[in-house]
Amino acid sequence: MLEAIDIKKSFSSDGKVVPVLEGISLKLDAGDYVSIVGRSGSGKTTLLNVISTLVRPDSGEITYEGVDLASVPESHLNGLRKSDFSVIFQFHHLLPYLTVLENTLLPFMNSLKPVSRQIEARALECLVRVGLADKARRLPGSLSGGEQQRVAIARALVKSSKILFADEPTGSLDQQTGDTIMELLAELHRDGMTIVMVTHEMEYARLADRIVEIEDGRIVH
Amino acid sequence: MNLATIPFKNMRRKPAKTVLLLSVFSLGVISIVALYQVSLVVGHNLEKKLTAFGANIVVKPSTETLSVSYGGFNMGDMLLDIEDLREVETTAAIRSISLNDRISVVAPKLVSMYKMNETAVAVVGVRWEEELGIKSYWATDGAMPRNPDEVLLGSQAARKLGLSAGDRLTLYGRDFTVSGVLYDTGSDDDSVVLMELGRLQAMLNQPDRVSFVEVAALCSGCPIEDIVSQIQTSLPRTSVIALQNVVNQRMSSVRFVQKLALSISLVILVTASAMVGLSMLSAVNERRKDIGILRSLGYGKSRVFLIFCLEAGLIGILAGTIGYLAGFGASLKALDFLSLSEGARPIFSVTQLAFCALVFPLITIGSSLYPAWKGASIEPSRALVSL
Repeated sequence: MLEAIDIKKSFSSDGKVVPVLEGISLKLDAGDYVSIVGRSGSGKTTLLNVISTLVRPDSGEITYEGVDLASVPESHLNGLRKSDFSVIFQFHHLLPYLTVLENTLLPFMNSLKPVSRQIEARALECLVRVGLADKARRLPGSLSGGEQQRVAIARALVKSSKILFADEPTGSLDQQTGDTIMELLAELHRDGMTIVMVTHEMEYARLADRIVEIEDGRIVH
Repeated sequence: MNLATIPFKNMRRKPAKTVLLLSVFSLGVISIVALYQVSLVVGHNLEKKLTAFGANIVVKPSTETLSVSYGGFNMGDMLLDIEDLREVETTAAIRSISLNDRISVVAPKLVSMYKMNETAVAVVGVRWEEELGIKSYWATDGAMPRNPDEVLLGSQAARKLGLSAGDRLTLYGRDFTVSGVLYDTGSDDDSVVLMELGRLQAMLNQPDRVSFVEVAALCSGCPIEDIVSQIQTSLPRTSVIALQNVVNQRMSSVRFVQKLALSISLVILVTASAMVGLSMLSAVNERRKDIGILRSLGYGKSRVFLIFCLEAGLIGILAGTIGYLAGFGASLKALDFLSLSEGARPIFSVTQLAFCALVFPLITIGSSLYPAWKGASIEPSRALVSL
């Protein structure tokens, strides 16, 4: 489904080139649930950003369903991010001035054509599924961290994304809320969604089918 | 819910900032609209006042000249078929053209020659009310004639005839009193005797006859050629001539006022546009996170660009509408304050309102193009650094 081969990525800092990923290869099959773990600064978030097309690698190859993503135009990547890929972040994943429902519908609001009633109904169904139907008209500021994370998951659901990339989805949440989010991810996985999750909490990492450990930009386990 | 929801709701999120930006640009529009309206009225009033300094169109009988010479003796040009104009018909025709609102004064004249004590002078019959409308610069030693038995002498004519204010003279067998003597004007008026037109027509037994008609027209609303053409059509057997030097001189004064207003408006517009551009630039920096989220959801550069342009456009539409309405009101107040409210008044125009609501969004969008492009150019990875 998605394969990354010999990915290298470095960033410049104070005029120095700092290598972050040093030849990482990773293969994801449909329905996989992969956890990426590692110490802070090991490169796990950068790897997630690269394979979710948010960051272009310096070298290496990423293929998705047989298409080399390095050679496709930006518009193709936009299309993937709009439909097949969903990313949820540790913080700030919602636009604070849009309601919960509007944030859920955000992927479908990228033209001047109004969002159809069908998609709106589907978004409400997804909010029901994550337990936020009663808060559809609320602004994100009035929600707890866990609820905000659930809105981001509902957004991935309404898109019918094939792969969900989650960067420390429980990082800012308390244990109980974190558990709820992990249950939700497990449920999505059972429904067939491919999940790639970056976490530093081994307890949650073990819930995945596979654990990938990164150290200094290389896969060590 | 669509793409416009994003900028619209963002503007509502920070009402103070939105109101401030809207106020700044609206103030610019108010100033421009008020300046434009005031300059129109001032220009109109100025032109109307300038008509008091002479006519700019002359209507005279069409003539044919014949150059006569015989045996080496040149007799000069002879005028053929001179037919005086009919006063009532001519003035009515001039007043009835479709651009009649541009006609300020119509001053008919009858010219005749008279020999008094072996001294020849031109006697010109005028309608005093009309004549003083185009000769407000006249100053006299004495007074203006108050009745048909009084005449006004040009300075040279008075010297030639040895007369001064209060003296009496006889013209065509009738006695007249010199009400006053014009101070030197440097024009033909210095060498003539001016009297009431009706009285001269009666004495010459030429009722309703005039030699030519001077017209003061307002040219700021249309070219003088249009007025001349309409008078010519209305009076086909006459010769209608525009005094271009007078027209140009007068219009240059009016245009100066309008150019001054335009220059100030441009400065205000550039300043207000720069404020909008700077505000949008800071909005782009503030909203890197939003851009990152949108890019991660598949929003392309063009969509992010459009969001910022829509936001600027919304500000422009509101500022254009509010600015025109408030600017129009401000122009009325300004004209009252400047004691210019008599005469012409600004005219509320739905077309102008629509123009403002359409053009000012284009200006705000134009001034936001660079910030919008900058926002759209942020790569998702860089925008997400702040997440």
